[in-house]
Amino acid sequence: MFTQINSKMVEAPVSPGQRLFSQRGAMLAYKGDVSFTPDLMGGQGGVGSMLGRRLANEDTPLMTVEGNGTVMFGHGGHHAHLIHLTGDTLYVEADRLLVFEGSLQQSTMFMGSQGGLRGIIRGQATGQGLFTTTLTGHGSAAVLAHGGVFEIPITPQRPVHVDPQAYVAHRGEVQSKVSTAIGWRDAIGRGSGEAFQLELTGNGTVFVQASEEKL
Amino acid sequence: MQGSRVLAVDLTGDTVKARNGSMVAYDGQMSFKRMTGGGEGLRGLVTRRITGEKMTVMEVQGQGTCWFAERAAEINLVRLNGERLHVEANNLLCTEATLRTGTEFTGLRGASEGHGLFTTKVEGSGWAAITSDGPAVILRVAPGLPLRVDPGAYVAHTGDLKQNFRTDVTWRALVGETGGESFQIEFEGNGLVYVQPSERRTVAGEV
Repeated sequence: MFTQINSKMVEAPVSPGQRLFSQRGAMLAYKGDVSFTPDLMGGQGGVGSMLGRRLANEDTPLMTVEGNGTVMFGHGGHHAHLIHLTGDTLYVEADRLLVFEGSLQQSTMFMGSQGGLRGIIRGQATGQGLFTTTLTGHGSAAVLAHGGVFEIPITPQRPVHVDPQAYVAHRGEVQSKVSTAIGWRDAIGRGSGEAFQLELTGNGTVFVQASEEKL
Repeated sequence: MQGSRVLAVDLTGDTVKARNGSMVAYDGQMSFKRMTGGGEGLRGLVTRRITGEKMTVMEVQGQGTCWFAERAAEINLVRLNGERLHVEANNLLCTEATLRTGTEFTGLRGASEGHGLFTTKVEGSGWAAITSDGPAVILRVAPGLPLRVDPGAYVAHTGDLKQNFRTDVTWRALVGETGGESFQIEFEGNGLVYVQPSERRTVAGEV
Protein backbone atom coordinates (compact mmCIF):
# COMPACT_ATOMS: atom_id res chain seq x y z
CA MET A 1 0.00 0.00 0.00
CA PHE A 2 1.43 3.34 -0.99
CA THR A 3 1.29 6.38 1.26
CA GLN A 4 1.22 9.99 0.22
CA ILE A 5 3.96 12.04 1.90
CA ASN A 6 2.99 15.36 0.40
CA SER A 7 1.23 16.41 -2.77
CA LYS A 8 4.26 15.59 -4.87
CA MET A 9 5.86 12.57 -3.18
CA VAL A 10 4.68 9.05 -2.50
CA GLU A 11 6.24 6.39 -0.33
CA ALA A 12 6.03 2.75 -1.31
CA PRO A 13 7.07 -0.33 0.67
CA VAL A 14 9.03 -3.10 -1.03
CA SER A 15 9.43 -6.57 0.39
CA PRO A 16 10.78 -9.81 -1.05
CA GLY A 17 8.31 -11.19 -3.53
CA GLN A 18 6.56 -7.87 -3.83
CA ARG A 19 8.23 -5.74 -6.41
CA LEU A 20 7.33 -2.39 -7.89
CA PHE A 21 7.55 -0.93 -11.34
CA SER A 22 8.35 2.76 -11.59
CA GLN A 23 9.25 5.34 -14.15
CA ARG A 24 13.00 5.25 -14.61
CA GLY A 25 14.78 7.85 -12.53
CA ALA A 26 11.77 8.68 -10.39
CA MET A 27 13.32 7.40 -7.15
CA LEU A 28 14.06 10.23 -4.71
CA ALA A 29 15.28 8.35 -1.64
CA TYR A 30 15.07 4.93 -0.09
CA LYS A 31 15.53 3.14 3.20
CA GLY A 32 16.66 -0.45 3.55
CA ASP A 33 18.16 -2.76 1.00
CA VAL A 34 16.61 -1.98 -2.36
CA SER A 35 17.88 -2.57 -5.87
CA PHE A 36 16.79 -0.84 -9.07
CA THR A 37 17.14 -2.60 -12.39
CA PRO A 38 16.26 -0.99 -15.68
CA ASP A 39 13.46 -2.90 -17.27
CA LEU A 40 14.28 -3.52 -20.89
CA MET A 41 10.86 -5.00 -21.45
CA GLY A 42 9.24 -1.78 -20.29
CA GLY A 43 7.02 -3.54 -17.83
CA GLN A 44 5.40 -6.90 -17.42
CA GLY A 45 4.89 -9.68 -19.87
CA GLY A 46 7.38 -11.20 -22.22
CA VAL A 47 9.00 -10.13 -25.42
CA GLY A 48 5.61 -10.06 -27.06
CA SER A 49 4.35 -7.39 -24.69
CA MET A 50 7.55 -5.45 -25.19
CA LEU A 51 7.11 -5.43 -28.94
CA GLY A 52 3.51 -4.45 -28.46
CA ARG A 53 4.49 -1.51 -26.34
CA ARG A 54 7.23 -0.44 -28.72
CA LEU A 55 4.82 -0.45 -31.61
CA ALA A 56 2.18 1.29 -29.60
CA ASN A 57 4.60 3.96 -28.42
CA GLU A 58 3.64 3.23 -24.84
CA ASP A 59 7.13 2.12 -23.89
CA THR A 60 8.10 4.69 -21.28
CA PRO A 61 11.32 3.46 -19.67
CA LEU A 62 10.49 1.61 -16.51
CA MET A 63 12.60 0.08 -13.78
CA THR A 64 11.95 -2.78 -11.44
CA VAL A 65 12.34 -2.07 -7.75
CA GLU A 66 13.11 -5.09 -5.57
CA GLY A 67 14.40 -5.72 -2.08
CA ASN A 68 13.33 -4.88 1.41
CA GLY A 69 12.58 -1.34 2.54
CA THR A 70 10.67 1.77 1.58
CA VAL A 71 11.20 3.96 -1.46
CA MET A 72 10.09 7.52 -2.10
CA PHE A 73 9.06 8.54 -5.57
CA GLY A 74 8.46 11.85 -7.28
CA HIS A 75 9.10 13.32 -10.69
CA GLY A 76 9.69 16.75 -12.14
CA GLY A 77 7.85 18.57 -9.37
CA HIS A 78 4.57 17.29 -10.74
CA HIS A 79 1.73 16.39 -8.47
CA ALA A 80 1.42 12.71 -7.68
CA HIS A 81 -1.97 11.16 -7.11
CA LEU A 82 -2.56 7.79 -5.47
CA ILE A 83 -5.12 5.38 -6.84
CA HIS A 84 -5.98 2.13 -5.07
CA LEU A 85 -7.39 -0.50 -7.36
CA THR A 86 -9.65 -3.22 -6.06
CA GLY A 87 -10.10 -5.51 -8.99
CA ASP A 88 -11.08 -2.84 -11.47
CA THR A 89 -9.11 -1.39 -14.36
CA LEU A 90 -7.27 1.90 -14.60
CA TYR A 91 -6.68 3.48 -18.00
CA VAL A 92 -3.74 5.85 -18.07
CA GLU A 93 -1.09 7.14 -20.45
CA ALA A 94 2.24 5.39 -19.91
CA ASP A 95 4.19 8.60 -19.41
CA ARG A 96 1.86 9.64 -16.61
CA LEU A 97 2.48 6.48 -14.59
CA LEU A 98 4.88 7.20 -11.76
CA VAL A 99 4.93 3.87 -9.92
CA PHE A 100 2.68 0.83 -9.56
CA GLU A 101 2.72 -2.40 -7.62
CA GLY A 102 3.78 -5.65 -9.24
CA SER A 103 0.48 -7.20 -8.25
CA LEU A 104 -1.22 -5.14 -10.94
CA GLN A 105 -1.48 -6.58 -14.40
CA GLN A 106 -0.15 -4.15 -16.96
CA SER A 107 -1.12 -4.25 -20.61
CA THR A 108 -1.53 -2.05 -23.64
CA MET A 109 -4.88 -1.36 -25.13
CA PHE A 110 -5.76 -0.22 -28.60
CA MET A 111 -8.11 2.71 -28.26
CA GLY A 112 -9.54 2.03 -31.67
CA SER A 113 -11.21 -1.01 -30.20
CA GLN A 114 -13.26 1.29 -28.03
CA GLY A 115 -15.46 3.10 -30.40
CA GLY A 116 -13.90 2.15 -33.73
CA LEU A 117 -13.12 5.07 -35.95
CA ARG A 118 -14.22 7.53 -33.31
CA GLY A 119 -11.70 5.99 -30.96
CA ILE A 120 -8.94 6.63 -33.47
CA ILE A 121 -10.05 10.21 -33.89
CA ARG A 122 -10.14 10.48 -30.12
CA GLY A 123 -6.51 9.46 -29.86
CA GLN A 124 -5.47 11.91 -32.54
CA ALA A 125 -7.50 14.81 -31.25
CA THR A 126 -6.30 14.43 -27.69
CA GLY A 127 -2.71 13.86 -28.66
CA GLN A 128 -2.67 10.64 -26.70
CA GLY A 129 -2.11 8.38 -29.62
CA LEU A 130 -4.00 5.24 -30.42
CA PHE A 131 -2.90 3.22 -27.46
CA THR A 132 -3.19 3.50 -23.75
CA THR A 133 -1.89 1.52 -20.80
CA THR A 134 -4.21 -0.42 -18.54
CA LEU A 135 -3.61 -1.67 -15.03
CA THR A 136 -5.88 -4.37 -13.62
CA GLY A 137 -6.02 -6.12 -10.28
CA HIS A 138 -5.54 -5.30 -6.64
CA GLY A 139 -2.91 -2.78 -5.62
CA SER A 140 -1.82 0.83 -5.72
CA ALA A 141 -0.60 3.07 -8.49
CA ALA A 142 0.55 6.67 -8.53
CA VAL A 143 -0.07 8.93 -11.52
CA LEU A 144 1.53 12.27 -12.36
CA ALA A 145 -0.34 15.44 -13.17
CA HIS A 146 0.40 19.11 -13.61
CA GLY A 147 -1.44 20.84 -10.80
CA GLY A 148 -3.66 18.94 -8.41
CA VAL A 149 -5.91 16.09 -9.44
CA PHE A 150 -9.57 15.90 -8.66
CA GLU A 151 -11.98 13.06 -9.20
CA ILE A 152 -15.37 13.24 -10.83
CA PRO A 153 -17.70 10.27 -10.47
CA ILE A 154 -19.38 9.00 -13.61
CA THR A 155 -22.78 7.36 -13.43
CA PRO A 156 -25.02 6.26 -16.29
CA GLN A 157 -27.30 9.21 -15.57
CA ARG A 158 -24.41 11.62 -15.30
CA PRO A 159 -21.99 11.56 -18.23
CA VAL A 160 -18.99 13.81 -17.77
CA HIS A 161 -17.24 15.91 -20.40
CA VAL A 162 -13.54 16.58 -19.93
CA ASP A 163 -11.10 18.83 -21.74
CA PRO A 164 -8.71 16.38 -23.48
CA GLN A 165 -5.68 18.31 -22.24
CA ALA A 166 -6.84 18.15 -18.63
CA TYR A 167 -7.72 14.46 -18.74
CA VAL A 168 -5.35 12.29 -16.67
CA ALA A 169 -6.83 8.82 -16.27
CA HIS A 170 -10.06 6.96 -15.69
CA ARG A 171 -11.20 3.74 -14.03
CA GLY A 172 -14.17 1.48 -14.17
CA GLU A 173 -16.59 0.53 -16.90
CA VAL A 174 -16.33 3.72 -18.87
CA GLN A 175 -16.80 4.39 -22.55
CA SER A 176 -14.95 7.38 -23.88
CA LYS A 177 -15.50 9.16 -27.12
CA VAL A 178 -14.69 12.51 -28.58
CA SER A 179 -17.59 14.84 -28.75
CA THR A 180 -17.26 17.85 -30.92
CA ALA A 181 -19.07 21.09 -30.62
CA ILE A 182 -17.65 22.74 -33.69
CA GLY A 183 -19.83 25.45 -35.06
CA TRP A 184 -19.41 28.16 -37.62
CA ARG A 185 -17.66 30.20 -34.93
CA ASP A 186 -14.74 27.78 -34.82
CA ALA A 187 -14.55 27.73 -38.59
CA ILE A 188 -13.83 31.44 -38.67
CA GLY A 189 -11.44 31.26 -35.72
CA ARG A 190 -13.82 32.61 -33.13
CA GLY A 191 -14.18 29.43 -31.13
CA SER A 192 -14.54 29.26 -27.39
CA GLY A 193 -11.50 26.99 -27.19
CA GLU A 194 -13.68 24.09 -26.11
CA ALA A 195 -14.42 22.51 -29.44
CA PHE A 196 -13.17 19.03 -28.56
CA GLN A 197 -14.27 17.25 -25.44
CA LEU A 198 -13.93 13.75 -24.15
CA GLU A 199 -17.32 12.39 -23.31
CA LEU A 200 -17.16 9.70 -20.64
CA THR A 201 -20.21 7.54 -20.00
CA GLY A 202 -20.79 4.48 -17.86
CA ASN A 203 -19.81 3.68 -14.33
CA GLY A 204 -16.53 4.82 -12.84
CA THR A 205 -14.34 7.76 -12.00
CA VAL A 206 -12.37 10.18 -14.11
CA PHE A 207 -9.23 11.93 -12.85
CA VAL A 208 -8.80 15.49 -14.06
CA GLN A 209 -5.85 17.82 -13.51
CA ALA A 210 -6.14 21.52 -12.71
CA SER A 211 -4.25 22.57 -15.77
CA GLU A 212 -4.37 22.22 -19.51
CA GLU A 213 -0.69 21.47 -19.80
CA LYS A 214 0.79 18.16 -20.82
CA LEU A 215 3.58 16.69 -18.76
CA MET B 1 -14.18 25.58 -4.91
CA GLN B 2 -12.47 22.24 -5.04
CA GLY B 3 -8.93 22.36 -3.76
CA SER B 4 -7.33 25.68 -4.46
CA ARG B 5 -6.63 25.20 -8.13
CA VAL B 6 -9.98 24.13 -9.47
CA LEU B 7 -13.13 26.20 -9.45
CA ALA B 8 -16.45 24.34 -9.56
CA VAL B 9 -19.44 26.34 -10.71
CA ASP B 10 -22.97 25.00 -10.37
CA LEU B 11 -25.19 26.32 -13.09
CA THR B 12 -28.95 26.10 -13.23
CA GLY B 13 -29.63 27.67 -16.55
CA ASP B 14 -27.67 30.81 -15.72
CA THR B 15 -24.55 32.17 -17.35
CA VAL B 16 -20.96 32.81 -16.36
CA LYS B 17 -18.19 34.45 -18.30
CA ALA B 18 -14.88 32.61 -18.25
CA ARG B 19 -11.54 32.83 -19.94
CA ASN B 20 -11.40 31.06 -23.27
CA GLY B 21 -10.35 27.44 -22.95
CA SER B 22 -10.29 27.34 -19.16
CA MET B 23 -12.94 24.63 -18.81
CA VAL B 24 -11.43 21.31 -17.70
CA ALA B 25 -14.58 19.26 -17.24
CA TYR B 26 -18.34 19.47 -16.95
CA ASP B 27 -21.38 17.32 -16.49
CA GLY B 28 -24.92 17.96 -17.57
CA GLN B 29 -25.66 20.20 -20.52
CA MET B 30 -23.36 23.12 -21.28
CA SER B 31 -22.84 25.38 -24.22
CA PHE B 32 -19.74 27.45 -24.80
CA LYS B 33 -19.85 30.57 -26.88
CA ARG B 34 -17.00 32.92 -27.51
CA MET B 35 -17.83 36.52 -26.82
CA THR B 36 -16.16 38.93 -29.13
CA GLY B 37 -14.47 41.80 -27.36
CA GLY B 38 -14.97 40.42 -23.87
CA GLY B 39 -18.71 40.79 -24.11
CA GLU B 40 -18.61 44.52 -23.78
CA GLY B 41 -20.21 45.43 -27.04
CA LEU B 42 -18.64 47.14 -30.00
CA ARG B 43 -17.15 49.96 -27.99
CA GLY B 44 -15.55 47.52 -25.57
CA LEU B 45 -14.15 45.56 -28.48
CA VAL B 46 -12.53 48.57 -30.04
CA THR B 47 -11.17 49.78 -26.70
CA ARG B 48 -9.66 46.42 -25.94
CA ARG B 49 -8.07 46.18 -29.35
CA ILE B 50 -6.48 49.57 -28.94
CA THR B 51 -5.36 49.15 -25.34
CA GLY B 52 -3.97 45.66 -25.73
CA GLU B 53 -5.94 44.42 -22.71
CA LYS B 54 -7.05 41.58 -24.91
CA MET B 55 -9.31 39.17 -23.17
CA THR B 56 -10.88 36.26 -24.93
CA VAL B 57 -13.92 35.36 -22.98
CA MET B 58 -16.47 32.65 -23.47
CA GLU B 59 -19.97 32.52 -22.21
CA VAL B 60 -20.90 29.30 -20.46
CA GLN B 61 -24.54 28.50 -20.11
CA GLY B 62 -26.34 25.38 -19.03
CA GLN B 63 -27.43 22.95 -16.38
CA GLY B 64 -24.91 21.11 -14.24
CA THR B 65 -21.47 21.60 -12.81
CA CYS B 66 -18.59 23.10 -14.71
CA TRP B 67 -14.96 22.97 -13.51
CA PHE B 68 -12.48 25.67 -14.45
CA ALA B 69 -8.71 25.72 -14.02
CA GLU B 70 -5.84 27.58 -15.58
CA ARG B 71 -2.32 26.19 -15.77
CA ALA B 72 -2.48 24.98 -12.17
CA ALA B 73 -2.64 28.54 -10.87
CA GLU B 74 -4.18 29.22 -7.49
CA ILE B 75 -7.71 30.58 -7.65
CA ASN B 76 -9.04 33.30 -5.35
CA LEU B 77 -12.71 34.09 -5.07
CA VAL B 78 -13.70 37.71 -4.68
CA ARG B 79 -17.19 38.73 -3.67
CA LEU B 80 -18.22 42.12 -4.99
CA ASN B 81 -21.11 44.11 -3.58
CA GLY B 82 -21.24 47.05 -5.87
CA GLU B 83 -17.58 47.94 -5.50
CA ARG B 84 -14.96 47.77 -8.18
CA LEU B 85 -12.22 45.21 -8.66
CA HIS B 86 -9.13 46.16 -10.61
CA VAL B 87 -7.33 43.18 -12.07
CA GLU B 88 -5.08 42.32 -14.97
CA ALA B 89 -6.92 40.62 -17.82
CA ASN B 90 -4.41 37.77 -17.53
CA ASN B 91 -5.44 37.12 -13.95
CA LEU B 92 -9.18 37.16 -14.44
CA LEU B 93 -10.53 33.62 -14.76
CA CYS B 94 -14.26 33.73 -14.36
CA THR B 95 -17.02 36.20 -13.48
CA GLU B 96 -20.72 35.93 -12.89
CA ALA B 97 -22.88 37.35 -15.62
CA THR B 98 -24.12 40.05 -13.26
CA LEU B 99 -20.68 41.67 -13.25
CA ARG B 100 -19.63 44.19 -15.84
CA THR B 101 -16.09 44.36 -17.15
CA GLY B 102 -14.25 47.22 -18.77
CA THR B 103 -10.84 48.70 -19.35
CA GLU B 104 -9.14 51.63 -17.64
CA PHE B 105 -5.96 53.60 -17.93
CA THR B 106 -3.29 53.00 -15.31
CA GLY B 107 -0.45 55.09 -16.55
CA LEU B 108 3.14 54.44 -15.72
CA ARG B 109 2.34 51.73 -13.18
CA GLY B 110 1.09 49.39 -15.86
CA ALA B 111 4.17 49.84 -17.94
CA SER B 112 6.40 48.99 -15.02
CA GLU B 113 4.43 45.85 -14.25
CA GLY B 114 5.14 44.66 -17.71
CA HIS B 115 1.56 44.46 -18.85
CA GLY B 116 0.82 47.67 -20.55
CA LEU B 117 -0.81 50.93 -19.71
CA PHE B 118 -4.27 49.54 -19.18
CA THR B 119 -5.99 47.23 -16.76
CA THR B 120 -9.38 45.58 -16.46
CA LYS B 121 -12.05 46.66 -14.05
CA VAL B 122 -14.93 44.52 -12.84
CA GLU B 123 -18.00 46.17 -11.36
CA GLY B 124 -21.31 45.09 -9.93
CA SER B 125 -22.51 42.46 -7.49
CA GLY B 126 -21.47 38.84 -7.65
CA TRP B 127 -18.50 36.52 -7.57
CA ALA B 128 -15.32 36.85 -9.57
CA ALA B 129 -12.44 34.37 -9.65
CA ILE B 130 -8.90 35.60 -10.11
CA THR B 131 -5.79 33.51 -10.58
CA SER B 132 -2.42 33.97 -8.95
CA ASP B 133 0.90 32.19 -9.17
CA GLY B 134 0.90 30.60 -5.71
CA PRO B 135 -1.64 31.39 -2.98
CA ALA B 136 -2.31 35.12 -2.83
CA VAL B 137 -2.28 37.11 0.38
CA ILE B 138 -4.84 39.84 0.91
CA LEU B 139 -3.37 42.96 2.46
CA ARG B 140 -5.51 45.70 3.94
CA VAL B 141 -4.73 49.30 3.26
CA ALA B 142 -6.08 51.90 5.68
CA PRO B 143 -5.70 55.68 5.71
CA GLY B 144 -2.32 56.54 7.16
CA LEU B 145 -1.02 53.05 6.49
CA PRO B 146 0.08 53.01 2.87
CA LEU B 147 1.21 49.75 1.31
CA ARG B 148 4.02 49.29 -1.17
CA VAL B 149 3.93 46.34 -3.51
CA ASP B 150 6.40 44.93 -5.97
CA PRO B 151 4.85 45.51 -9.40
CA GLY B 152 5.58 41.91 -10.39
CA ALA B 153 3.74 40.48 -7.40
CA TYR B 154 0.65 42.67 -7.65
CA VAL B 155 -2.45 40.79 -8.77
CA ALA B 156 -5.54 42.88 -8.07
CA HIS B 157 -7.10 45.37 -5.71
CA THR B 158 -10.53 46.50 -4.54
CA GLY B 159 -11.79 49.53 -2.74
CA ASP B 160 -11.04 53.20 -2.85
CA LEU B 161 -7.31 53.23 -3.41
CA LYS B 162 -4.99 55.76 -4.92
CA GLN B 163 -1.96 54.38 -6.66
CA ASN B 164 1.39 56.00 -6.82
CA PHE B 165 4.40 54.85 -8.61
CA ARG B 166 7.55 55.01 -6.52
CA THR B 167 11.08 54.80 -7.68
CA ASP B 168 14.13 54.32 -5.62
CA VAL B 169 16.70 54.75 -8.31
CA THR B 170 20.03 56.10 -7.19
CA TRP B 171 23.44 56.23 -8.79
CA ARG B 172 23.80 52.59 -7.73
CA ALA B 173 21.13 51.57 -10.19
CA LEU B 174 23.05 53.19 -12.97
CA VAL B 175 26.11 51.11 -12.24
CA GLY B 176 24.02 47.98 -11.90
CA GLU B 177 24.25 47.57 -8.13
CA THR B 178 20.72 47.47 -6.79
CA GLY B 179 18.61 45.40 -4.49
CA GLY B 180 16.34 44.64 -7.42
CA GLU B 181 13.54 46.60 -5.78
CA SER B 182 13.87 49.94 -7.47
CA PHE B 183 10.23 50.28 -8.40
CA GLN B 184 7.17 49.89 -6.22
CA ILE B 185 3.51 50.72 -6.37
CA GLU B 186 2.23 52.61 -3.38
CA PHE B 187 -1.39 52.22 -2.40
CA GLU B 188 -3.09 54.82 -0.24
CA GLY B 189 -6.66 54.97 1.00
CA ASN B 190 -9.00 52.24 2.04
CA GLY B 191 -9.15 48.84 0.43
CA LEU B 192 -7.64 45.42 -0.15
CA VAL B 193 -4.68 44.45 -2.30
CA TYR B 194 -4.04 40.89 -3.57
CA VAL B 195 -0.38 39.97 -3.72
CA GLN B 196 1.04 36.71 -5.09
CA PRO B 197 4.16 34.97 -3.72
CA SER B 198 5.90 35.14 -7.07
CA GLU B 199 7.15 37.88 -9.34
CA ARG B 200 6.41 38.25 -12.99
CA ARG B 201 9.28 39.28 -15.16
CA THR B 202 8.88 42.98 -15.43
CA VAL B 203 10.79 45.91 -16.73
CA ALA B 204 11.08 47.11 -13.16
CA GLY B 205 12.47 43.81 -11.97
CA GLU B 206 15.38 44.12 -14.35
CA VAL B 207 16.64 47.32 -12.83
